[in-house]
Amino acid sequence: MTAIDWNRLATRARRGRRVRSGLLLAFLTLVSLPVILPFFWVVVISVSARTGGVEAAVLWKACAVLVPCVLAYAGVHTFIASVRARIIAGLLLGGLCLIGLYVLIGADLHLNNYRFLVNPNLIEDIRGAATIGGQFPWVWEAFGNSLLVAITSMTLKVIVATLAGYYLSRFAFRGRSFFLQSLLLLEVFHPWMLTIPIFLVIFWVGLLNTLSGPILVLTVIDLPFYIFIMKGFFDAVPWDIEMSAMTDGATRRQAFRHVVLPQVRGGIIAISVLGFIKGWEEYVFVTALRTGNSYWVMSTYLYYVAEDVMGVDYGLVAAVSVFYMLPSLLLYLFLQKYLTQLTLGGVKG
Amino acid sequence: MARVDLQNVTKDWGTAVAVDDISLDLKDGEFVAVLGPSGCGKSTTLFMLAGIYAPSSGDIRFDGARVNDVEARDRNVGIVFQSYALYPNMTVLQNILFPLRFKKVPRTDAEREAREIARLVQIENLLDRRPGQLSGGQQQRVALARALVKKPNLLLLDEPLSNLDATLRLSMRAEIRRIQRELGVTTILVTHDQIEATTMADRIICMNAGRVEQIGTPTDLYRAPETTFVAAFIGSPPINLIDARLAGDTLEIGDKRLRATGAGADHGGPVKLGLRPEHIREAEAGSATAGLAATITASEPMGRETLYTADTPIGSLHFLEATSMPRLAPGAKLSLTFDGDDSLVFDAATTRLMHGVCAHV
Amino acid sequence: MPSSASARQASNALIFLGPAIILLFALLVVPIVVDLVVAFTDMAQTVTIGEFTTRQFNKLVRPSDDAWFGFELRGSFYRALSLTAIYVFCTLTIFNITFGLILALTTTALSDRLGAFFRAVWLLPRMSPSVVYGLLWIWVVDPTERGLLNQVLINVFGLEPINMMLDHPMVLIVMANGFIGASIGMLILTSAIRSIPKHLFHAARADGAGPMAITWHIVLPALRWPLSYITVFQTLSLLVSFEYIFLIMGASRSTMTMAMLAYTKTLAPDIGSGQYAYGAAITLILIVIGMATAMFMWRMSNMKALLAKPKIEVQ
Ligand SMILES: Nc1ncnc2c1ncn2[C@@H]1O[C@H](COP(=O)(O)OP(=O)(O)OP(=O)(O)O)[C@@H](O)[C@H]1O
Ligand SMILES: [Mg+2]
Repeated sequence: MTAIDWNRLATRARRGRRVRSGLLLAFLTLVSLPVILPFFWVVVISVSARTGGVEAAVLWKACAVLVPCVLAYAGVHTFIASVRARIIAGLLLGGLCLIGLYVLIGADLHLNNYRFLVNPNLIEDIRGAATIGGQFPWVWEAFGNSLLVAITSMTLKVIVATLAGYYLSRFAFRGRSFFLQSLLLLEVFHPWMLTIPIFLVIFWVGLLNTLSGPILVLTVIDLPFYIFIMKGFFDAVPWDIEMSAMTDGATRRQAFRHVVLPQVRGGIIAISVLGFIKGWEEYVFVTALRTGNSYWVMSTYLYYVAEDVMGVDYGLVAAVSVFYMLPSLLLYLFLQKYLTQLTLGGVKG
Repeated sequence: MARVDLQNVTKDWGTAVAVDDISLDLKDGEFVAVLGPSGCGKSTTLFMLAGIYAPSSGDIRFDGARVNDVEARDRNVGIVFQSYALYPNMTVLQNILFPLRFKKVPRTDAEREAREIARLVQIENLLDRRPGQLSGGQQQRVALARALVKKPNLLLLDEPLSNLDATLRLSMRAEIRRIQRELGVTTILVTHDQIEATTMADRIICMNAGRVEQIGTPTDLYRAPETTFVAAFIGSPPINLIDARLAGDTLEIGDKRLRATGAGADHGGPVKLGLRPEHIREAEAGSATAGLAATITASEPMGRETLYTADTPIGSLHFLEATSMPRLAPGAKLSLTFDGDDSLVFDAATTRLMHGVCAHV
Repeated sequence: MPSSASARQASNALIFLGPAIILLFALLVVPIVVDLVVAFTDMAQTVTIGEFTTRQFNKLVRPSDDAWFGFELRGSFYRALSLTAIYVFCTLTIFNITFGLILALTTTALSDRLGAFFRAVWLLPRMSPSVVYGLLWIWVVDPTERGLLNQVLINVFGLEPINMMLDHPMVLIVMANGFIGASIGMLILTSAIRSIPKHLFHAARADGAGPMAITWHIVLPALRWPLSYITVFQTLSLLVSFEYIFLIMGASRSTMTMAMLAYTKTLAPDIGSGQYAYGAAITLILIVIGMATAMFMWRMSNMKALLAKPKIEVQ
């Protein structure tokens, strides 16, 4: 057997690793650009658009600063192992980036497009009188309604799913397997499919044009999934905990409240985040379940602002968009780690 | 087929140091066993040798060449995992053939070799099953076959026999040792079974908390354990360790004084006296030296021997007697003694063995 | 005391399961039944039922002696059906499955932090409100040179500006839905890859397998069930989704899938004309497809584990 040339193998492995991670990074950066660029674009429009189309220039100038900085940092990350050096390089590049942005586009930035936040009668300002959308309310009214819809539907959904998930996980009762099978069947009926009959039902019970309509429907959207998620979380809680609580004299319900619930905190937070984001973004049912402008939420506000002034005032539409998506994105970024706990069946389109 | 060196190798997980500055030197074709308590870094060491983990610092060398950066797949290391790690979607035969696929062995040769190895580990009738349909011991043997079939330069066995019954274990021990000799492959065996380590290995490495406590032949570790840890870990039932004070040529244990030899007159300080249960025996009547007056407090039949616990002036002692039925009842009084050469004295501060120092009754 | 025990059992069921049953019944089961009835009526703008009729289905198919079953599809319905098929098939195969798989494989091959970063980027579209997401696409494909796509085409590649909405509407909606679908596929597959025991990767590396061989022999076999799960559920979800199509394309004929057809004929803001019975008829077809899928799913899912009996029998 010939001697193995370990040094050659080591060199090859080092080069292979570097090439592979370089290729991976390059590939992912390339395919991620189309995702991130539009978001960047709308932010740029919102802080720089005036009449005269300056925002395109701002976008490309900003990219001219950001892209080299990000590439340089990626280079640092691939070729330098020391954590300290990485942090220093990151800070340096960040500083350079800020200075570059300030010099190149600092003069073009302004917050004028965000004046809708303080001006209750924005549209009248712009157009003299509102058109398609009828009377626009102040944005904070829509904001408050959206918050109400999102929080109420989230709370209802979490409570209902948690109770049902626990019962299905822990109790033996007649009809349990029938119930689980029906739930599985109901999973395939997304309320989108049933928009029309749901509208009819809401109309017949007299909840049309009230916020209760969308709140109830939002509670049901994906409810079977949420129940299965919570059932999964409860299934993972060891029986012993509950049994020992019960031998210590707790009733079944006390054991649930004080012993089991704290164990599934991660699951509850995860479905709360998803539930809130779903309620916050809802568009189909808030428009379908109203006739005329009986209530405003953020999605309809943005939809009609865009409808009304899209050709005239890009800046305003972009600013409303940024304002609207900020809460979901912040919530998502901060509570992301809980979402990663959801496994198969926990996510749905 | 490979000389293996570890030089100051450390593996730091960020939260904990799993392997702390260990250095080893294995000769070509040597068979060493690694002993140590759970979580002391045995598996981590093997994984670094296999190229699965990269050391945080230090060098790993095969035949003198640094291989830290060499990919696992280029190292030609055969490894049996503690958890078997059989591929669940492949049959037993496919599992065994898997390593050969990457060595570009022609299909027919590969299959012949796989069947041959399967016969050696007695699984030739299981070749069409999937790992999910096998018992723990059968899975272990499949894992062994998969590690051996590629004729590795270095064989790493992480508790490969832990799930086998006593007879099968004996025959597998012999089989592994035979194959190892035949291939001349350098082998590291992790085990919790001291008998396995002492009967199979040329040398034993005793690890504790990420460090190597001692490397040596089985006899070295038994006769001259470098530290109290090794002394306590090797040998069953475990050694008696007694707190004492060394003052020149006497050993003070409470009020009792024993004679000490081998220590300089100026030597003094707290020590630990180690006495193995099998080295303590009843003093013969009328012997010249007075024994330790002892009262039996408990007896425990251990098959061919009996383990007694006795109260003595130097504390509670365990000792063994080669009688299958307990001869002495609790409460029985007798006199105990031991040979000075069998006693071990450790420095209590450093826990290290004080070579040449002996205690005498 | 059997009576008090059974009373407690009943009250437990009521407390824990009652809310779910009521909600699901009122807003899923009842609507399905309502749809079944309304589809065979003439209900329109006034939301009243004048007569029971199969007229709605006559708008979709017409009797014909040459065709199979004696019916042939009418033009607009045929068009909706084929657009739906193209839309669902392309989005699913290109994005939800293929691209989701690629993203899951590449992000899990990177270090944990970098991988999480790229996954977070890909989840941005899904986490941002649908109206905003629709607007983003409108800005991107704006046919003037203000549109982001055209800016890139002109400035970076030196090409002519294009008008996606007019010239490639299906490509547009497949991409818009695909970006979101890919992130869902990515999430499910990432968690599936994560749950493959680490020691299998270790063993494969020690056995001499490279990254490609590991992907092929270790990872892909473990993804068989998650991939079929994605296929079934995303097919259904795409079949009934019209939100992004409507927000980007409006009531354009070029992207009028079945779900869009039902929506624009009834409830779409400003243009919906309240042809509820017609919409219900189209919905009924979707419900039938959903039922068939559910049957298929039953055969494939692990019912036994799901139905395993709980251990504590005390109420
Ligand atoms: N991937 C990891 N991340 C963090 N810590 C780890 C990891 N793997 C092992 N450790 C830690 O390193 C130490 C050594 O682990 P190792 O698996 O090598 O122990 P071991 O000696 O093989 O134990 P056993 O006999 O139980 O198998 C342990 O404290 C363990 O918690
Ligand atoms: Mg181990």
